[in-house]
Amino acid sequence: MRYLISRAAAALLFLCIFAGTSLAATDYDQLFRQSSDLMVQGDLEGSLKLLKQVPAPAPGDDGSAFVSSRMQAARIYSSQGTPEAAMEACREVLKLFPDNSEARNLLTALEKQQKPRWHTILADCLRFLPALAKGATMTLLLVFCTMLISPLGGLLIALGRISTFRPVSALCWFIIWFFRGTPLLLQLFFIYYGLPALGITLAPLTAAVIGLGLNYSAYLGEIIRGAIQSIDHGQMEAAKAIGMTYGQAMRRVIIPQTYKRLMPPIGNEFIALIKDTALVSTIAMVELMRSADQLFNTYFNITALVLAALIYLVLTTIFTFIFEKIEYRAGIYEQR
Amino acid sequence: MSSAKEPLLKLTGITKHFKNLTAVNGINLEVQPGEKLVIIGPSGSGKSTLLRSINLLEEIDDGTITFEGHQVGYVTRLGKRHLDKPHQICALRAEIGMVFQHFHLFPHMTVLGNVMEGPLTVQKKTREEARQTAVDMLAKVGLSDKRDVFPATLSGGQKQRVAIARALAMRPKLMLFDEPTSALDPELVGEVFDTIHSLADEGMTMLIVTHHMGFARELADRVIFMESGRFLAEGTPQEFFCKSQDNERIRGFLNRLL
Ligand SMILES: Nc1ncnc2c1ncn2[C@@H]1O[C@H](COP(=O)(O)OP(=O)(O)OP(=O)(O)O)[C@@H](O)[C@H]1O
Ligand SMILES: [Mg+2]
Repeated sequence: MRYLISRAAAALLFLCIFAGTSLAATDYDQLFRQSSDLMVQGDLEGSLKLLKQVPAPAPGDDGSAFVSSRMQAARIYSSQGTPEAAMEACREVLKLFPDNSEARNLLTALEKQQKPRWHTILADCLRFLPALAKGATMTLLLVFCTMLISPLGGLLIALGRISTFRPVSALCWFIIWFFRGTPLLLQLFFIYYGLPALGITLAPLTAAVIGLGLNYSAYLGEIIRGAIQSIDHGQMEAAKAIGMTYGQAMRRVIIPQTYKRLMPPIGNEFIALIKDTALVSTIAMVELMRSADQLFNTYFNITALVLAALIYLVLTTIFTFIFEKIEYRAGIYEQR
Repeated sequence: MSSAKEPLLKLTGITKHFKNLTAVNGINLEVQPGEKLVIIGPSGSGKSTLLRSINLLEEIDDGTITFEGHQVGYVTRLGKRHLDKPHQICALRAEIGMVFQHFHLFPHMTVLGNVMEGPLTVQKKTREEARQTAVDMLAKVGLSDKRDVFPATLSGGQKQRVAIARALAMRPKLMLFDEPTSALDPELVGEVFDTIHSLADEGMTMLIVTHHMGFARELADRVIFMESGRFLAEGTPQEFFCKSQDNERIRGFLNRLL
C-alpha cells in the first residue's frame, strides 16, 4: 500500500511537474505573443504587466523565459524614457545570471547615458576633432572666398543699380531679383547639377564658391546701394563743384563714407554666410556640417554635433568681434 | 584786346524749369573780372538755382553760358541741346569755386585732406604740391592750427572757412557763394565775412547770394534783386538801397529783413 501510494505520489508529482513545465512553456509563448500584440497596439503598460508575470526561475532551472521577459521590459522602459526602470530590469537579470552579456551591455549603455563621464566625452572630442577641424578648414576657405568675391560683386551691382544707363541698371536689378528671390540651395543645385546639362561641369568647390559668391554679391549689392544713397547728396555736389568726375567722387568721397554704415549689415551677412556654407554639403562638399553629420551617423554620438555647434559659435564670435573693431575704426572721424 | 571790358562770365536767357515751375526765367547777366556781385531776393526766387546753373550742377533748359569768351556746358547735336562731355564739364567746374550754405566738407578727411583733395585728385598735382597749396590756403583763412583735425570737431564758422579754402585751392577764376552764412550762429558770421572780404580785396571775382544787407552794402560793386526767377532791379549799393526804395516789392523785402 505504502509502495503504491508512494508510486502514485511519485507518478502524480512527475505528472504535475511534467504538466506544469510543459504547460508553463506554452503559457509563456502565448504571454509573449500577447505582450508584443499590446505593444504594437501602443499599450506599453499592459505589455509590461504581462511580462512581469513571468516569475524568477528556481535555482538550477531554465531561465530563458525570465531573461527574455525582463530584457523586453528593459527595452520598453528605455524607449519610454524611464531608464531607471530599464536598468532595474537588467540588474534583476544579472542577479541570477551574472554572465548574461545582453543585460550587461544594455546596463552599461544605459549607465553611460545616465551620467556621461568627462573622460569619455573628452575622448570622443579628441577622436572627432581632426575630422571636424578638416571640415572647419573647408568652411573657412569657402567663407574667405565668398568674403573676397561678394563685396566686389556687390559694389559693381550697387553701382550698376544706381547707373542712369538703363540696360545696366536693369541687368543689376535682375541679378538681385533672381538671387535674392530663390533659395541658395536651389542655386547651388542648379550650378552643380544643372550646368553640366549645358556642357559646363564644375568641381564642387568651384560650384560652391560661384554659388555663394553670386548669392552674397546680390545681397551685398542692395546693402551697398542703400549705403551709397544714404550719403548726403551735398557730398556729391561738393565733390563735383571742385571738378571731380562721377568716378572720382564715388571713389574718393562717397564710397569711403559708406564703410562705417556698411559694417553692421555686412557683418550680419558674413555671419549668416558662415552658417550658409553648411548648404554646400548637398553638392558633395565635405565641410564642417557634413563632417559632423558623417561622424554622427558612424558613431551615433551626439558629441560630434555638439562639437560642430561649438566650432560654429567660435567662428561667428570671432567674426562679430572683428567687425565691431572695423566698424569702430571706420567711423573714427565722426568722433568729436 | 579790350580785356577790361570782356566779361569773365556772360549769361544770356538762362531758363530752368522744375516740372511746371519756372525757377529761373530768362536771366541775362555779365560779370566783369574782379567784380563783386551780390544777389538778394526772397526765398524760392531762384537764386540758388541760378548759381548752380552756372557751374552746371543744374542742367538748364534754355540760354547760354559764356565763360572767358567761350560758350560752355552745352553742345548742339542734331538740333538738340545736350550737356557737354563730362571732362569739359569738370574742367569748367574746376575753374569756378562754389561755397554752399551747409559747407559739405568731406567728413572722412582731415581739414588738410579736404583742402588738398581738389589739387590732388582733380589737378593731379603731387602730394607735396597739393599739401603746400592746402597749407597756404588754410593760412589764408586763418585755420593753420586745425590742419590735422576732422571736420566734426570744428565750429560752423571754421567749417565754412575750410570750405572756402577747399574751393580756393583749385585757384578758381570765379567764386560762387550760396548763402555762406545762413547756417551759422550770429556770432560766427563775422569770421566768414572777414574771410570773404579779404578774398575780395585780392581781386577775386565773386557772385554772392546772401540775406545780410550790411554785408551786401559793404562789399558789393553791384546788387541784384531777384524774384520769381527774374532780376527785378540792380545797381550799385548806393543806388540800390536808396533809389530802389520806391519799388514796392523791394522795399517790402528790405523792411522785412532790417
Ligand atoms: N531739385 C528741385 N526740384 C524741384 N523744384 C526745385 C528744385 N530745386 C529748386 N526747386 C524750386 O525752384 C524754386 C527756386 O529754388 P531756389 O533754391 O533756387 O530758391 P532760392 O532763391 O535759392 O531760395 P532760398 O533763399 O530759400 O535758398 C523754388 O520754388 C524751389 O522749390
Ligand atoms: Mg537758396
